[in-house]
Amino acid sequence: MSIVKGNLFGFYALIVCSLLIVAVIRATKAGKFTPVLRRIAGLEAIEESIGRATEMGKPIHFSPGIADITGSDAPQTFAALEVLAYVTGLSAKYDADLIVTIRIPNVLPLAQEVVQQGYMAAGKADMYKEDTVRFLSNEQFAYIAGVLGIFARQKVAANIMIGGFWAESLLMAEGGAQAGAIQVAGTANMHQIPFFVAACDYTLIGEEIYAAGAYLSQDKNKLGSIAAQDYIKLALIAMVFVGAAMATSGSQWLVKVMSK
Amino acid sequence: MRREIPFIITLVVGLVFLLAPLTAGNIPLVGQPFSFITATYFSPWTTIVAAFATGLASVNLLRIHANSISRKRAGWYNSVALVFALAFFFVYRTAVELLPANKALAAGYANYFNNILSPLSAAMFAVLAFYIASASYRAFRARSLEATVLLVAAVLVMIGAAPIGAEIWDQFPVIQRWLLAVPNMVGQRSIIIGAAIGGFATSLRILLGLERGHLGGE
Repeated sequence: MSIVKGNLFGFYALIVCSLLIVAVIRATKAGKFTPVLRRIAGLEAIEESIGRATEMGKPIHFSPGIADITGSDAPQTFAALEVLAYVTGLSAKYDADLIVTIRIPNVLPLAQEVVQQGYMAAGKADMYKEDTVRFLSNEQFAYIAGVLGIFARQKVAANIMIGGFWAESLLMAEGGAQAGAIQVAGTANMHQIPFFVAACDYTLIGEEIYAAGAYLSQDKNKLGSIAAQDYIKLALIAMVFVGAAMATSGSQWLVKVMSK
Repeated sequence: MRREIPFIITLVVGLVFLLAPLTAGNIPLVGQPFSFITATYFSPWTTIVAAFATGLASVNLLRIHANSISRKRAGWYNSVALVFALAFFFVYRTAVELLPANKALAAGYANYFNNILSPLSAAMFAVLAFYIASASYRAFRARSLEATVLLVAAVLVMIGAAPIGAEIWDQFPVIQRWLLAVPNMVGQRSIIIGAAIGGFATSLRILLGLERGHLGGE
């Protein structure tokens, strides 16, 4: 068995990054290192938006996006489920109705489990109803039509959209704005971020959605991994500078090493 | 065991899928490459799981709307339309699968599907144009320094991209290209790199069982 030609650098980078993440997590758990996350306004605003929904007696809408739990967009859905667990806890705390809409069938049982467990952990199992987590359609625009229908009929006061979003992002965000909801959105899909920035009150940009679980739970495993991400980013920035300097001076060494 | 079994399955399957595109040749003692294992043993399982999930989702949909009809909730007639459509397409598709020789039946199914769903989807997509206008109006109000910078950049890009821009001043397209190629590209790439590393770290946490939010607990 061998490494496919062209993937050697990627393979070793994968191992080094994985070891670094594990090492920083262990250091964090052992108390040798205490990462501090900067304030993320969008995550702070979630409690405010749920409090507002409670005062108004209107429901909260949560969408984990339309990405599946397989493929390169899967981490966005898992990050969304982390936030969903937090939103469920707040919904239980404030006795606010929660509506979770789902497009991908594979995500449905996971979201149901997260919400059900969240209510049970808060001692309010009876808050989980049959229609709390709703599958609408696995067709992208049928799904968004369903969401807009819910906005129009139930006048949600808070709309939280975290996960992988595509063309439906602006439809959902504008629908929420027209319903008068406080909106917190986040995605790692580059081309949808501007739509969320334009239409929502708070936007989590790119990697912020992956930091959400750590930020909200302050779990040491997750905090350590977020700190390790920053070290990897620093290394990448250094590589960008070195690569630019070498390319400017006519050296192709780094390009050759990375192509191996 | 409720937590351990999903963790073990995630770890094993995740590692195999991770190594499949990176490695070539047979795995020692197993005698088959990772790519063969994913294609032969794991991929059918993803299809089976997805099929079960779709079944569960359909039941969820049906129960919610059956309740809506039986309790005559506001807009219950929409639920009737949904249940009817669900039943109609289920029966029709089953008939198409059971009678593969009947080409007219298959063509009829495609006709119903394409002539109802496609126009409806296109209509929803078209609404986006109006929403872009209303969202832009709100975003481009110069309420703060950032919003003002956004407004100025947007106006320059729009004028530079429109044919009239070059007629007014030949430097508008140059400014537009610079805005897209330099500040915009720098921002995009930094977000993409950050998101990619974030996605990788999240995946690793899931593989190692450090992230269990999706299993209903910390």
